[in-house]
Amino acid sequence: MNQMQRRSAMTRSTRLNRAAFGAIGLALVTGGMTHFAAAQNRPPADQTKIEQKKPEYSPYLDQNFPNRVYWGVAHVHTGYSFDAGMFGITLTPDDLFKVATGGEVVLDNGLRFKQDRPLDWVAITDHAEYMGISDEIRAGSPDLLANPQGKRWYEMSKQGPQEGVKAAIEAVVSMQNGKPVFDASKLTATAWAHATAAAEKWNQPGVFTTLHGFEWTSAPGGNNLHRTVIFRDNADRVSQVVPFSTFDSQDPADLWNYMDAYAKKTGGQVLAIPHNGNLSNGLMYTAETFDGKPMDPAYAETRAAHEPLLEATQIKGDSETNPYLSPNDEFANFERWDINFNKMEPAQNNVLHGNYVRSALRLGLEIDAKLGANPYKSGLIGGSDAHVGVVTQREDNFFGEFANGLPSPERWKTPLAMVNNDPSKGPLMSVWGEQAAGLGGVWARENTRDAIWDALKRKEVYATTGDRPIVRLFAGWDFVPADLDRPEPDFAANGYAHGVPMGGDLTKAPAGQHPVFMVHALRDPDGPNLDRIQIIKGWLGADGKTLERIYDIAVSGGRTIGPDGRCMTPVGSTVDVANATYTNSIGAAMLSAYWKDPEFDATQRAFYYVRVIQIPSPRWTAYDQKRFHIKMPDYVPMTVTDRAYTSPVWYSPAT
Amino acid sequence: MKRFVREPLVHFLVLGALLFVGYGLFNRNSEPAPAQIVVSQGQLASIVETFTLIRQRSPTREELEGLIRERVREEVYYREALALGLDKDDLIIRRRLQQKLEFVSEDTAAQAAPSAADLNAYLQAHPDKFRVEQKFTFRQLYLDPQKRGANLAHDAAQLLAELTQAGGDTSVTAVGDPFPLGNSFSAETAGEVANRFGKKFAANLSELETGSWEGPVESSYGMHLVFLKERTEERPPALAEVRDAVRREWDDARRLGVNDEFYQGLLKHYTVTIEQPTAEAAK
Repeated sequence: MNQMQRRSAMTRSTRLNRAAFGAIGLALVTGGMTHFAAAQNRPPADQTKIEQKKPEYSPYLDQNFPNRVYWGVAHVHTGYSFDAGMFGITLTPDDLFKVATGGEVVLDNGLRFKQDRPLDWVAITDHAEYMGISDEIRAGSPDLLANPQGKRWYEMSKQGPQEGVKAAIEAVVSMQNGKPVFDASKLTATAWAHATAAAEKWNQPGVFTTLHGFEWTSAPGGNNLHRTVIFRDNADRVSQVVPFSTFDSQDPADLWNYMDAYAKKTGGQVLAIPHNGNLSNGLMYTAETFDGKPMDPAYAETRAAHEPLLEATQIKGDSETNPYLSPNDEFANFERWDINFNKMEPAQNNVLHGNYVRSALRLGLEIDAKLGANPYKSGLIGGSDAHVGVVTQREDNFFGEFANGLPSPERWKTPLAMVNNDPSKGPLMSVWGEQAAGLGGVWARENTRDAIWDALKRKEVYATTGDRPIVRLFAGWDFVPADLDRPEPDFAANGYAHGVPMGGDLTKAPAGQHPVFMVHALRDPDGPNLDRIQIIKGWLGADGKTLERIYDIAVSGGRTIGPDGRCMTPVGSTVDVANATYTNSIGAAMLSAYWKDPEFDATQRAFYYVRVIQIPSPRWTAYDQKRFHIKMPDYVPMTVTDRAYTSPVWYSPAT
Repeated sequence: MKRFVREPLVHFLVLGALLFVGYGLFNRNSEPAPAQIVVSQGQLASIVETFTLIRQRSPTREELEGLIRERVREEVYYREALALGLDKDDLIIRRRLQQKLEFVSEDTAAQAAPSAADLNAYLQAHPDKFRVEQKFTFRQLYLDPQKRGANLAHDAAQLLAELTQAGGDTSVTAVGDPFPLGNSFSAETAGEVANRFGKKFAANLSELETGSWEGPVESSYGMHLVFLKERTEERPPALAEVRDAVRREWDDARRLGVNDEFYQGLLKHYTVTIEQPTAEAAK
């Protein structure tokens, strides 16, 4: 039994003791305090009484529920990724972990980088394909040069970043075809050994968690089906396998088989997170299998079991929703990358429903009604996807997606792709379109591999587009308005005892009851105030078609919510673009809401997730303008309304 | 970067080079006897190991025979190419040799595990990197400025008076406004408090009296009443407390510095003359 196993065994036995203790405690404690274990006959929340009881020495007794948000990303790259490395990034997992824990590194353009605050956990997810090849290219290794394609890449990379980008694009094309032009499997095995060793070295239970992971980079014809793959286990298990690549298969079902084989071989656990549906040309979230056959129940169940989360936001655009899909959502037009990667042109509207997570959640309800299984019963998380060797999600500290987006006066206008790959047609997307994003907030009790991973698996997580607002959600049938005002830990104890947190399920609606949602949202201590809290509801109508609706459930600044559940008065803006500043003189530091779905129909499947909108703040482009003394054209946005998306709570009628 | 030194090929090349040199020295003037190529047990094992690592299975008999034939073929060509001087003035080979020597020097550094004295010296030289932070054990009540409005100061004073009268380390789970960060914190570092409540609040806590309800204390969110049960002060750590962290930093410093150090050492053995470019070349 290794240390981690011992630790989790200890945690388990402690939990049992705590549960027993909680039950005894219930009999002893009186007054305004409600224990987590007090699942029945809870006393009303008492707002005035100061309890005279001498407390236990340990403030954490009887709190067996997640009580803290741990911030991290399950998606970021180092120089071990072929595209990062071929673009000129030499930083390694050691460098990334050093930065994530609060250290400083020098990036590949000579600039120094430090995070505003350390992260709590990170999964480095370098591409499985050609993993470690960049080292060989830099060194001009004979193994590589013996291969004509390898020699070509070597020579291109020597000519500088722009040629290196072209070489990386050739590698990308080979991945789109699913056929390697250079057998890098030996390099990959070596790089994987290094990556897992680095993750072990930096993992510090209780302080900083590293999760082992990689990215499976399937993109048939350029259409993005990428997944990050995140392990729960230590290197003793993880190093028994090598990363599964798109050269092994482009079909996600084969990735799930690989994951099952890992679990069977090692007794470990692993999950996958799809990302950049926005670049999938409608293929990420469909009702079909990879081969285009209709899903059957087993397929739908398998997908949901392996992919408990969807990445809703990251540097290469936000994937929550789109104005075409959500015409009544004035916040939908947000950091969009609607690109057809197959043709390298703007995406057509008729594929967008397969690109965005909100439409995936809706489609999931439809499929569930037909098959009895919901393939898209997945929570939401934010990722980074930075390929520069650090996590860089803050507007005021954004170091770009690739080496060509590292800070410089010219970076904003550097093209990332040309229309139809034809230079004469102009840029399809340039660096200014990159979004400074994103993070995953994980509700857990401790900062360890098992605690963080288990929270990912049970979907008790949420996405933010870069800041660190706290969002807590409980849904249930019989919460009363006073429950919202219970101070912690009573609020959470009561929430878990009588409802479910984000990522949970409601079913068996009591006759005549409507589901109630309680939300607390607290802004980032060093971030913009909150504009509003919203519930995004999706449901399956009687005609078998899904619908969506937005409810504002708390708004700042004395504005009112109309009978239609909306507040159409914007919060305003304090952004001074020229100076790249804002003030928290509008909005609220904290918002809370108690909301009962007014239009609930117990026969209809539904999901509800919370979206918290921050007040506008300067976008990273505004900081570039200020710091480099430059002026960008008017089409480059200078403000941003960063936000958070929670994992949904699902309702399904009893079956 | 140990991988290159571990590569069986590397061992083989080194061995091959030694053989070649020996051969040249002792057989220069005689009719060459057939040279020996021996694929040793150790080399066989590493051929199998490399294959198994990549394919996740052992090679079949046919595959192994193929691999061995390839190895022999490689060796024959290698020796003949060296004999013909094909390694001279080849940019790729020069780079590869440079790279290998760099890896060797890094690897030597990595293998030389630091002694406790090394680590202690590093710790003493970089005390700020490893300082044990100030820690706070406290309870707090939040007063929401939005909810309390103009009554905030009054409410804070009244609640503080009640708490003080109730005395000491009172359980306060049912008063104050809801606050999602929670109300009890145990041995929380100053950095963590700053990350969660803002820097101002953390700074205020380090000034606060312990053992009584105090406040209102301002945070990034509003006002708090705080009962600071315990504060442990910042201090330099003993090596045992931070050994892993010191080792990581030590490794990192070595990784960044070792090649340059090694190069500077080698450079001392050379006199470097760089001729002035000709007028033609300088254009």
